[in-house]
Amino acid sequence: MALLTLENVSVAYDNQYILENFHLNIEKGQLISLLGPSGCGKTTTLRLIAGFLEAKDGKFLFDGKDYTRVPVNKRNFGFVFQSYALFPHMSVYDNVAFGLRLRKVSESEVKTRVRNILDVVSLGGFEKRFPKELSGGQRQRVAIARALVIQPDLLLFDEPLSNLDANLRVNMRVEIRRIQQELGITTVYVSHDQEECFSISDQVAIMNKGVIEQLDDPATIFKYPKTEFIARFIGFNNFISFGERTEQNGEIGLRVGNHSFSAAHNPGTTNPGAKKCAMRPDDLIVTTEAEASQSENRLAGKVKISTFLGRSYQYVVETDLGDFTVNQEMETPYKSGQAVNLLFPKDKMVLVD
Amino acid sequence: MKNKGLYVLLLPGVVFLTLFLVIPIVMTIASTFFQEGSFTVQGYLTFLTDPYNLKIVWTTLRVSFVTTIVCILLGFPASYYISKLGPRKKGILLALAIFPLLTSSVVRSFSWMIILGKKGLLNSSLLSIGLIEKPLEILYTPTAMMIGMIHLFLPLIIITLVGVMENIDPDLLKAAESLGASKFTAFRQVILPLSMPGLIIGSILVFVGSLTAYTTPALLGGKQGVISTFLYQNAITLNDWHMASVIATIMIVITFVVIGLMNKIAKKLNPKG
Repeated sequence: MALLTLENVSVAYDNQYILENFHLNIEKGQLISLLGPSGCGKTTTLRLIAGFLEAKDGKFLFDGKDYTRVPVNKRNFGFVFQSYALFPHMSVYDNVAFGLRLRKVSESEVKTRVRNILDVVSLGGFEKRFPKELSGGQRQRVAIARALVIQPDLLLFDEPLSNLDANLRVNMRVEIRRIQQELGITTVYVSHDQEECFSISDQVAIMNKGVIEQLDDPATIFKYPKTEFIARFIGFNNFISFGERTEQNGEIGLRVGNHSFSAAHNPGTTNPGAKKCAMRPDDLIVTTEAEASQSENRLAGKVKISTFLGRSYQYVVETDLGDFTVNQEMETPYKSGQAVNLLFPKDKMVLVD
Repeated sequence: MKNKGLYVLLLPGVVFLTLFLVIPIVMTIASTFFQEGSFTVQGYLTFLTDPYNLKIVWTTLRVSFVTTIVCILLGFPASYYISKLGPRKKGILLALAIFPLLTSSVVRSFSWMIILGKKGLLNSSLLSIGLIEKPLEILYTPTAMMIGMIHLFLPLIIITLVGVMENIDPDLLKAAESLGASKFTAFRQVILPLSMPGLIIGSILVFVGSLTAYTTPALLGGKQGVISTFLYQNAITLNDWHMASVIATIMIVITFVVIGLMNKIAKKLNPKG
């Protein structure tokens, strides 16, 4: 049974729905990310779980109990803010001890627990410092320690790394994942950075306009997006909308105009009527050879733009079915205006809704 | 600062303040220790041994203290509310809060006389609904002075508090609550200490303002003197400039002592502020 369940939840500001009939299940011990563009409802979902805002309708179940109307301070969830939200008038020690003292933990136990958790986030010896005397990464770790020390039933992160510089971001996300697995604590993580989400999560929920479009493990989403929105979001820049779809020899035959393609059975969308295919720029092949193997889908075109990207070249190829973007590594690049053939590997064509 | 030449920009202000503030104050204080060419502390002895004078000092301190406390009690919740509003509503409410400062204190005091007088608005209303049987004596008492000065100084504390409170990250309250604090505890342990700098500055402005105010106590206090009206009386009516200087010096000393004390309290309540 899921540890956390959102059932038919709706949230609205000024009669405008941010979430409507929203569903989400989270298993115990998992780290699940909510990923999506700004305004997709991911932060609203997180704040709803935390209790900072109330659902208009629906139910929030946690560990079998109805948490819908439980106030924030009775939930025992740890929350890590984008702004860190450290108390500026308190030392690192007092910041971390804040939640324990409210729980009437004895001062000697506060001491050992604060020490231990500061060691976990590698901040031993920083007890007497004040937040403004710390770097961004150190503040973030204090914020994490403060949320962890109360032994929360659930840990919530709201874009915790977006105020850090790129290197630190990578280190911190490794650190967050390590701590989360070490303590086995169920975690909900909100970010708009897909690399961040994919690298630390057990499950990623991609949200768009208040709806989860796909919830899967990162590798599955990365290879097999279910919808056009997700495909675009994670870098599938090429799309073909077909007119007809048939099943043949375990493959899917697709036609548009006088072009016919075939695609392998890919678990992108399971909708049998889907006729749109998504392809990554890295998966298409540009060639000048007249005849390639029969197993490939081919399309004639000419190079419109050729851009040097360092490791590879990026080509925009103009065809009957529109422009396609291809990234390809090669010694001697194609020139603009050159006639070429585009190859579409069958197993790289993902059907999306 | 990289460019030392920029200090030149301070020069006009420094020259002006030195000529018209520092030198006169030093001269006033110095003059209290000399009478007919010889050093003396007789002026202070005379002032401090007269129970009538001490009563005036006591009344002044009491009125200023009560005014400050009431301003804090009225201003703190109002400021907190205003600081939470969107920019539009905040602007409107701040303008309304500052409005009393824009009217002359003479006009304001006369309005209070109309309201608080024996046959004033307050008494006639209370009499007509039968809450009291004979008119309350409010006008020309310390209470009237306090009412007038609370009205006068409330804007100062609201302006300073809103300034400090709107810079408190709203996530701090949420953080405290997520760690288990009730709304009240979160307010007491986070908002209150972080508002302390504004509260102290506002309180100093109100206290010093009340201590040195002249028009309001002169018009609403009647015969009940405070230090400033007593000083005026000595200088203008009695033409005793020596005593007036002594009183002025005592007033300056009281002001500095109070500011010092308040800063000390502030340091205790908010060591990192």
